[in-house]
Amino acid sequence: MNITLLREIGIALLFVLLQAVVFNQINLFGIAVPMVFIYIIFRMPLSLSTAWLLTASFFLGLTVDIFSNIPGMNALACTILAFMRRPVLSLYLPHGSDYVAETPSIRGFGMWLYVRYSLTLTFLYCVLLFVIESLSLFDLPYLVMRIVGSTLLTFLLILCIDSLSQSREKRL
Amino acid sequence: MRNLIDFLIKHHAWMFFILYVVLSCVLLFSSNPYQRSVFFGSSNRVVAQVYEVANVVSGYFGLRKANEELLMQNGELAMENLQLRRQLQRYSYAAATDSLAQDDPMLQQYDFVMARVINNSVSHLENYITLDKGSADGITPEMAVVDHRGIVGIVNVVNEHNSVAISVLNAKLHVSCKVKGTDCFGSLVWDGRSAAYAVLEEMPRHVEFVQGDTIVTSGFSAVFPDGIMVGTIHDYAKQKDDNFYAMQVKLSTDFTQLGVVRVIRNHMQDQQQLLEKEARQ
Repeated sequence: MNITLLREIGIALLFVLLQAVVFNQINLFGIAVPMVFIYIIFRMPLSLSTAWLLTASFFLGLTVDIFSNIPGMNALACTILAFMRRPVLSLYLPHGSDYVAETPSIRGFGMWLYVRYSLTLTFLYCVLLFVIESLSLFDLPYLVMRIVGSTLLTFLLILCIDSLSQSREKRL
Repeated sequence: MRNLIDFLIKHHAWMFFILYVVLSCVLLFSSNPYQRSVFFGSSNRVVAQVYEVANVVSGYFGLRKANEELLMQNGELAMENLQLRRQLQRYSYAAATDSLAQDDPMLQQYDFVMARVINNSVSHLENYITLDKGSADGITPEMAVVDHRGIVGIVNVVNEHNSVAISVLNAKLHVSCKVKGTDCFGSLVWDGRSAAYAVLEEMPRHVEFVQGDTIVTSGFSAVFPDGIMVGTIHDYAKQKDDNFYAMQVKLSTDFTQLGVVRVIRNHMQDQQQLLEKEARQ
């Protein structure tokens, strides 16, 4: 149990570092920023209590914030995202059916369910993040372009990362 | 009381949710960008360390271009130096006979510290730049940051070995600028769109200029010295109230490729600010 926990924390730290050093520097066509670290929130076990999920997500967001000098922005978006995770998932599952897998992944969920799950959450996150950001400078057409661009880029990267980690687990 | 505790336990997920949302909002809205807590920024020692390690690799990108630009600028400066030398020679005869000759206080007003950019972003609406020099090297808040192409930002938070500067690409930063050769000034601010352009607002309508004219700092703010390169006029339009122009300025600094910058110290800054504060009272 403890080893799994340590491993998960290690992976989370790795994603925060990648986000700070690599992904935050990417700004495709001036509109799309990949927010790949939210994959950590996607893949937290479904059995985790909401309180723990919220706590972990808040501190994850805060760590990313510290790297980008805007305290509170990602922390707020991550907290709301974590809170919306379960409602979003039950939206796509047939009524009354149990969760299909312990951790959300392409393998556990199947491609179609995982695409809907991650695309919805990514879109939700980008809307939250860029709306919070635009409190300091509001520009509607630019805001919409940024939300759509960043959602697509982030979603594609998260799909790639999830299928990579899946193939590695198969080999082991 | 028992009911209250029962209520709290029953709805503890909501309580956690509200707690974290409130905490985030406090962080987000209470902190003034000019006085951000040192802990929650990249002047934090651990964060700066991470960026320094990453910079060991990324610092080599774009060196060839930077080198060429420096050579170009070096050539231009050498030419200017020659010209100035000749002028000086011409005037030195006059100065020799003038008993009132003094050192030029303007030249002694500024000096600079070289620093390396270890983190930089252009993707947010509020962008910050982390530098590898801090108070131990003589950097203090409100010093100007420029590179060989033009203005970069203003130092905001300083710790012993690192500092964070507010980039010109930050919607909260305004820099007083003018069209080179005139004395009418406006306020340069970033519109959040592209890292290559900023907007010069509140330019009086009677100023004469054409597209491609050079924009330089006005030197009114006590941070930037007079006449530092900002960019060139790319486009212009009347502002809503018709009495001012808003110009789109093509920034001469390439913010996507910041390497080594100069941090400029103004020895007169404190005096000027004190004086201006007194005048306002």
